[in-house]
Amino acid sequence: MNTKTTIPFGPQHPVLPEPLNLKLVMEDEKIVEAIPAIGYVHRGLEKLAEVKDFHQNVFLVERICGICSVQHAMAYVQGIESLMNIEIPDRAKYLRVIWAELHRIHSHLLWLGLFADAFGFEALFMQCWRDREKVMDIMEATSGARVVVSVNAVGGVKRDISSEHLAEIVKVCDQVNEDMKKMENAFLNDYTVRHRTVGVGRLTKDQAYSLGAVGPMARACGVAQDLRTMGYAAYGKLGFQMVVEQDGDCWARTAVRVKEVYECVRLIKTAIADLPAGDIAIPVKGNPNGEVVSRVEQPRGEVLYYIKGNGTKNLDRLRVRTPTFANIPTLLVMLPGSQLADVPVLLLTIDPCISCTER
Amino acid sequence: MIANVNEITKDQLLGETQKMAAQGYRFVTTSCTDLGEGKLDVLYHFDKDAELHNLRIKAEKGEEVPSISKIYLCAVLIENEMSELFGLKVVGMAIDYGGHMLLAPEALKTPQSKITIEQRGAK
Repeated sequence: MNTKTTIPFGPQHPVLPEPLNLKLVMEDEKIVEAIPAIGYVHRGLEKLAEVKDFHQNVFLVERICGICSVQHAMAYVQGIESLMNIEIPDRAKYLRVIWAELHRIHSHLLWLGLFADAFGFEALFMQCWRDREKVMDIMEATSGARVVVSVNAVGGVKRDISSEHLAEIVKVCDQVNEDMKKMENAFLNDYTVRHRTVGVGRLTKDQAYSLGAVGPMARACGVAQDLRTMGYAAYGKLGFQMVVEQDGDCWARTAVRVKEVYECVRLIKTAIADLPAGDIAIPVKGNPNGEVVSRVEQPRGEVLYYIKGNGTKNLDRLRVRTPTFANIPTLLVMLPGSQLADVPVLLLTIDPCISCTER
Repeated sequence: MIANVNEITKDQLLGETQKMAAQGYRFVTTSCTDLGEGKLDVLYHFDKDAELHNLRIKAEKGEEVPSISKIYLCAVLIENEMSELFGLKVVGMAIDYGGHMLLAPEALKTPQSKITIEQRGAK
């Protein structure tokens, strides 16, 4: 006789950095149904954006999520600049890419470390975070802050990067690149790790697309979708190469993130080599009017900003759809059929950011 | 300012969404805006090859709007969110969180609404 049991997974769980609850309906050790539940960290930031002026909102959107704060600010300021017909200096576009890709490296290294911790590989976890520290240090040196670097502004960037710091960034990137090769071997080829990742949480290309998956979740299933191909900021001039895998399982999602670190390094080094001289910002006059949709590629995938201005300093509406919000529905398909023991690893591979999701 | 916007009625929503699915569009999200005086503006964003296509409907607060989650399951979270935060009555959602996906039971209802200080005081 099959007896179904419902097990609550989270909201507090060692593998979850942020609160998310999964109601898992089980038959023995096998999941037959999963319902995700959020609502533990909703802060009403979209409403708050209506009472702050459009310059202050840069600071607000950076705090939707620390880990991808640069890309949140990029999406927002690009939207406002589009509404106000502002063309920022080329140097600012390249600087935005450098900080954005540094952010992507530290986000991926953070995730890889947490992932290694989830399947009990503590040494690998510490190796990832040791390299992440180097990236955090260079972000602190160039911006004054380790996580929320707050460099974007409407009209350009707030800080320049000195030639000494640019040389230091290249040095750090080379170190990360070398260390990543060693870690890649452990993540993708280690016998024990492969047992926890290969074939686990498989999602087909069609499922990923119809469920609206974004970022590494989608690219690991063969969906060639990365907004950096649109060429925003300076991406159009850097020869961006998208990383796509085909297997759609936890291994493929790990492989996409590992390989993206190499591409981040290449983008940063190319941007530094080609960095044009000149101003880093232009003066901004007036207020935004009209509506616009602005999208950029965060470490976790596509983020969408819908901005509606009314000609005053305050916005009528600021709507944010973050990548985790788009990736949560994949759990409805991936979890049923999986084993309970695989839930922590499987869940982590969507790289859940719940503060982002709930805003 | 937004390209590719089709203004439709709520009665056309399911048919137009079905067409987007048949053409291979990915559902991205919706953007709901309170226009004041109980009027809501909802944009449904779809993507294909990094190009957005949008469907726009106007609705009254509390008016019934069909759920598209039978066509795009992934719409279920944002439909619940619009229902909770704006008071849009979305009917037929694949998963209905009953108004508590984001909000606690004691929270202010439809907090994204444009409401006057007098209305807030009365609540």
